Amino acid sequence: MGSKVTMNMILRPALLALGLIFAGLAPAAAATTPAETFVQDNMHVGLDILNNKSLSTDARRTQFANFLLSLTDMKRIADFTLGQYRRGASPADLAAFDTAFQNYAVAVYQSYFAKYAGQTLKVTNSQARTADDFIVATQLIDPKDHSGQAPLEVDFRVRTDGGKPVVTDFSVAGIWLALEERDQFTSFLGQNGGNLHALIGHLEDLAKQYRNG
Amino acid sequence: MRALKALILGGCSLLLAGCAATPPSPEALAANDPYEQTNRQTLILNGKIDHYIVVPTVGVYFFLVPDGGRRGVHNFLGNLSLPTIFVNDLLQGEVTRGSQSAARFLINSTLGLAGFFDPAQKMGIPGHGEDFGQTLAVWGAGEGPYLILPFLGPSNPRDAAGLAIDTVIDPTNFIPLKQHLWWSAGREYFTVLDLRAATYQTIQGIQRSSVDYYGSLRSLYRQLRDNEIRNGRPAAAQDLPDF
Repeated sequence: MGSKVTMNMILRPALLALGLIFAGLAPAAAATTPAETFVQDNMHVGLDILNNKSLSTDARRTQFANFLLSLTDMKRIADFTLGQYRRGASPADLAAFDTAFQNYAVAVYQSYFAKYAGQTLKVTNSQARTADDFIVATQLIDPKDHSGQAPLEVDFRVRTDGGKPVVTDFSVAGIWLALEERDQFTSFLGQNGGNLHALIGHLEDLAKQYRNG
Repeated sequence: MRALKALILGGCSLLLAGCAATPPSPEALAANDPYEQTNRQTLILNGKIDHYIVVPTVGVYFFLVPDGGRRGVHNFLGNLSLPTIFVNDLLQGEVTRGSQSAARFLINSTLGLAGFFDPAQKMGIPGHGEDFGQTLAVWGAGEGPYLILPFLGPSNPRDAAGLAIDTVIDPTNFIPLKQHLWWSAGREYFTVLDLRAATYQTIQGIQRSSVDYYGSLRSLYRQLRDNEIRNGRPAAAQDLPDF
């Protein structure tokens, strides 16, 4: 059970599928900023992979995982999701967590990719948070949806402080995935005495579950 | 029935606000969730009610009522909420959204056969949600600590108070008492079925992919509410944390 508001609006599966959302083929409005261009240009690559029926399921998953990893800064996201628990962790534990988080994130995103293949993503605008931190707003449009519902709003956080643009977070309907992951990971660690090994084990189990599922 | 629900809401809020059996952890305090342990127990209780009563009932509902029928029920219930949504639109100064709510109610109540159909959507008049909790937020009220209410789920003092107000101002309260009790009970019953049916797979997905379902739900609730309060307008980029 849950409140009307929560029940109506929780869209985490849609949110988690965002790793695949570089699936836009709409001849979108011309992107005008480098961050918008980055998001717009990569949609085509993602779409090609998602819609490539000549690939086996495993090959498609591998290609999409490589594509996703090339566009995101997983280590930065992983570090962020540990919150205050990052400070007390050893370098070896942090490295193990980074690996476990990456495998978890890729496995979860890939489990939902089929739902969004065939949809289009249109860049609508962007705002600069700082000189190297941008929020690119897009809309996810399902050409088969004639219900009249407003398209899903999908935002990408793009950082350029490392030389090349990378995505560090996604949001769907206002929910930022990295924020949600930080909240639940720190909540887990708070309930488990800060035991990072327990979190790593949990992430590894979930990743396996998704790969086999 | 509706007044009773409002009383329960108020009572729950007071009860939970008074609970201080276990000192909150630093992490809970940082998350503005000082009643975390009580909330976690309530979530477990709600989960049991959901698992043993609500979900099986939803299964029967799916079996007995075809998809078109369930959509009709969904539309009808949504139409009944429109007067309350309209009032809250105006209280927030959202004139355009208020006119959309009024138009939807008029069109769907007539052309939509008492709200069972939604011709307004097809005419390009989109639906939206509003409630008094959002109105309080727009007026400047802070959300207060995170709460999990028995039966009702994630909330906070502001949203719980808002829900109580919405319950009291609902126009269906003016139905004469004898019919009103049956009417209210039926409406609540189908509202629960409709809501749970719509969110079954989503909730399952969250539970399946979370390392901490409680923490995940808390984050999702807060972010969703913030988005609703902004009516979907983008948050200020500066509100996002640095990383």
